[in-house]
Amino acid sequence: MKVKPKVINRYSKWQYLILIFTIAMLFISALPNIFGQNAALNIRSRSDSMLPATQVYRILQEQDIPLTKIDVNNNELTVLLKDNNQQAKAQKVLQRALGHKTTVAMSMHSASPAWLKSLGLEPIKLGLDLRGGVQFLLNVDTDQALRDKLTQMQEEIRISLRELKIRNSTVVISGLESIEINSPGISSRLKSRLKAELQELYPNLKTTVHGGGRISVTIPEAEQHLIRQLTLQENLHTLRGRIEALGITEAVTQRQGHDRIRIELPGVQDPAEAKRVIGATASLEFYPVLAGGGRLIKTQRGETISIARQPILTGQHISDARSGRDEFGGAQVSLTLDASGGKLMSSFTRDNIGKPMATLYTEYRQDEDGSLIKESKVINVATIRAHLGSRFQISGMENSKAAQELALLLRAGSLSAPVSIIEERTIGPSLGQDNIENGFAALLLGLGVIVTFMALWYRRLGWIANLSLLTNLVMLIGLMSLLPGAVLTLPGIAGLVLTIGMAVDTNVLIFERIKEESKRGRSLAMAVEAGYRGALTTIMDANITTMICAVVLFSIGYGPVKGFAITLGLGILTSIFTGVFTSRALVNLTLLRKKKTSHNRALQGAK
Amino acid sequence: MNTKLTRLRFYGCVLGLAGVLLSLSGLFTFGLNQGLEFTGGIVTEISTTEVVNLQEMNNQVSLLLGPEAAVNLIDEGHTWNIRQSLLKNQDLSWIAQLGANTATETTLLNSSIIGPQVGDELLEQGGLAMLAAVIAIFIYLAFRFEWRFAFGAVLALFHDVVIILGIFAWSGLEFNLTVLAAVLAVIGYSLNDSIVVADRIREILRSKPKQAVSQSINQAIQSTMSRTLITSGTTLTTVGAIWLLAGRPLEGFSIALFFGIVVGTISSICVAPTLPEKLGLSAEDYQPKEPAPELI
Repeated sequence: MKVKPKVINRYSKWQYLILIFTIAMLFISALPNIFGQNAALNIRSRSDSMLPATQVYRILQEQDIPLTKIDVNNNELTVLLKDNNQQAKAQKVLQRALGHKTTVAMSMHSASPAWLKSLGLEPIKLGLDLRGGVQFLLNVDTDQALRDKLTQMQEEIRISLRELKIRNSTVVISGLESIEINSPGISSRLKSRLKAELQELYPNLKTTVHGGGRISVTIPEAEQHLIRQLTLQENLHTLRGRIEALGITEAVTQRQGHDRIRIELPGVQDPAEAKRVIGATASLEFYPVLAGGGRLIKTQRGETISIARQPILTGQHISDARSGRDEFGGAQVSLTLDASGGKLMSSFTRDNIGKPMATLYTEYRQDEDGSLIKESKVINVATIRAHLGSRFQISGMENSKAAQELALLLRAGSLSAPVSIIEERTIGPSLGQDNIENGFAALLLGLGVIVTFMALWYRRLGWIANLSLLTNLVMLIGLMSLLPGAVLTLPGIAGLVLTIGMAVDTNVLIFERIKEESKRGRSLAMAVEAGYRGALTTIMDANITTMICAVVLFSIGYGPVKGFAITLGLGILTSIFTGVFTSRALVNLTLLRKKKTSHNRALQGAK
Repeated sequence: MNTKLTRLRFYGCVLGLAGVLLSLSGLFTFGLNQGLEFTGGIVTEISTTEVVNLQEMNNQVSLLLGPEAAVNLIDEGHTWNIRQSLLKNQDLSWIAQLGANTATETTLLNSSIIGPQVGDELLEQGGLAMLAAVIAIFIYLAFRFEWRFAFGAVLALFHDVVIILGIFAWSGLEFNLTVLAAVLAVIGYSLNDSIVVADRIREILRSKPKQAVSQSINQAIQSTMSRTLITSGTTLTTVGAIWLLAGRPLEGFSIALFFGIVVGTISSICVAPTLPEKLGLSAEDYQPKEPAPELI
């Protein structure tokens, strides 16, 4: 067998190429961070009319809000502000002045030169604690979705029983998973027909026939899980729509655990409005008013009326809603229905001209213990005067603000399960800025002390360690800018500083080995080779266990703590890379280049 | 020198045990001053343009928010921390009112409202995570090294964590989510040190199987000592910089890390290497296994 002679302390050309390529790539990714970001407002009109850039300019001038420039393209204006802290104020002012037909959305624009932007590179995304903003954690009551499903089934089963002419039977919801039907004295023929009917109605559910006249329909575990999942997804979708309607473009809306939704709204300063819109569970339903029977409910005027158990149509069929005023000056909401909603409404009103119809407004409210209470009220009872189509109005709103909010909610869709806000954080913009400055001051101080120490203690090797340390920092920042999920938070900056402190460990381990080896009388080249090889297993073992910690932290934490886990984990990767490969390449290229360098000189000062 | 080191390790272990007992007693008598994330409630931080005295602020706050709201002064009458229990309806309009009442302009710095459900879950998750981390690390170490060493390292970790918690219990510093993160980071850090020493012990036991185990351990500690001190020194420097400059939001975090690193360094010199020796570690445990003789 032939063994190729291995040259020690020499990397091959392709190894250098990979090294240079990796460092250069991450270095360029880190560049946009030097330029930072500017606060901007995106103004978009819903109508086709041109947006008046001069008007925007004047409004901002009047309010003393300095701006850098206004870009006009197609139907959108982009206003770049000079002062990032005035973004929220400017948004409010402009939205009020430009009215309902335009949306004014807050966003951040990278201030880097065009060639960097064209590469698609962006600075690191800042967490809420550094940027300021509002954060909510919502609890989704998925039980309610099951309850709704069961109530709907109860109604359907009653209808089936009536159609099959099975009398004297009770239909009871039991818990959150099943419906019990009890029809004493039912004939076995009818019983099997009923069973067949139920199986056809609910192919995914389990229909069981018991002794006596009892039949139960159960939602199996898997189906319950599916219903909960779908509910959460629908809610997530609806909430995204609502947040867009608020004019916030860079919001984060994500699932957390089985029944939580986390919403981060960067730049928002007043949580009250966002909270009302996000947490609102309002929905509308239209019911025929009956002469008797059905469900009894009080109107706003205090009369009791009876409405049908099944609505003619629910808020889900509403495709557009606008607030406005009726001919008497009262607040009203104009609705546009989708195709199937229009058909339902049309066929109902055609057959029921002259009869009354009630509009039921339902909302979930949180009581003192944090549990949800359902509140329904009839906001309007109107006589159907004509055959309605897909467009009509509801009057009788309390005031124009209530009408506006209802219109917004109906446009964005109603939540399929009620939500409650269980956590809310607001971080003012000045605190965010302070946090960034303090964090970086700490980083500079820590870095300065370490660089000085390493240079004094290890002399030339120390400079190599310092160079790889700086490369490490730049690479880490580059990597964080590149990864879409990485967010820099204040604990994240602490992680960055800590990583710098721990990253020298790799080089210290190697250098101490080299010193030991050279004390045993090996040549410098041999000592370097033995030092890097001997220290490698230790470095890997030590870093893998720290990595385990970072992964665990990442999996439990959220927000700030997740930011810490990210910098810690990525820092381990980059510090192995720079500590082992970059520093080795530097040692090879500098200290070992000239064979004549005596190893005493190279290790001067390294006692 | 070597017998001195043995004695030092012994004293280190005794000191560590005393520290753990002291910390446990603190934890049982005072408990941890749990942060908002764990207890639920409302914390609001505001700054005022004018200096307001504490008494005045207290009166105004209890007028607006009720007598249970607790006011803390953070710096010379400008920054305030107001903590209240959960209410039914929370909005922030009282801040402007407070400013009007105390004749100053108030700015909201940050506000957190956390429901009671969140806290219990977080504590549970945090505890589970720590357990998961320790088990994962134990398995990794037992696989890479030896079970006695894994046991020693994990016990050293336990020692570090209990002492940090003890410091927080005795001092009454707030234990919040970022402190929990710091504790996990200390687990990672302290392990680094233990592994570096263990690695060297394994190497020496392999190269000098005849030497007494205690002696080999001392030799390993000695030869890694300068590395341990340098790395602990650089890490402490950076953590000190965070403590000094990064301000209040990271105060608890940097205190936990700072003491964690000090305690972790001591434990990885004294506790982690001594325990395997006491558990009967011998040079044979680390000898590379000889291949079974082949039958011809």
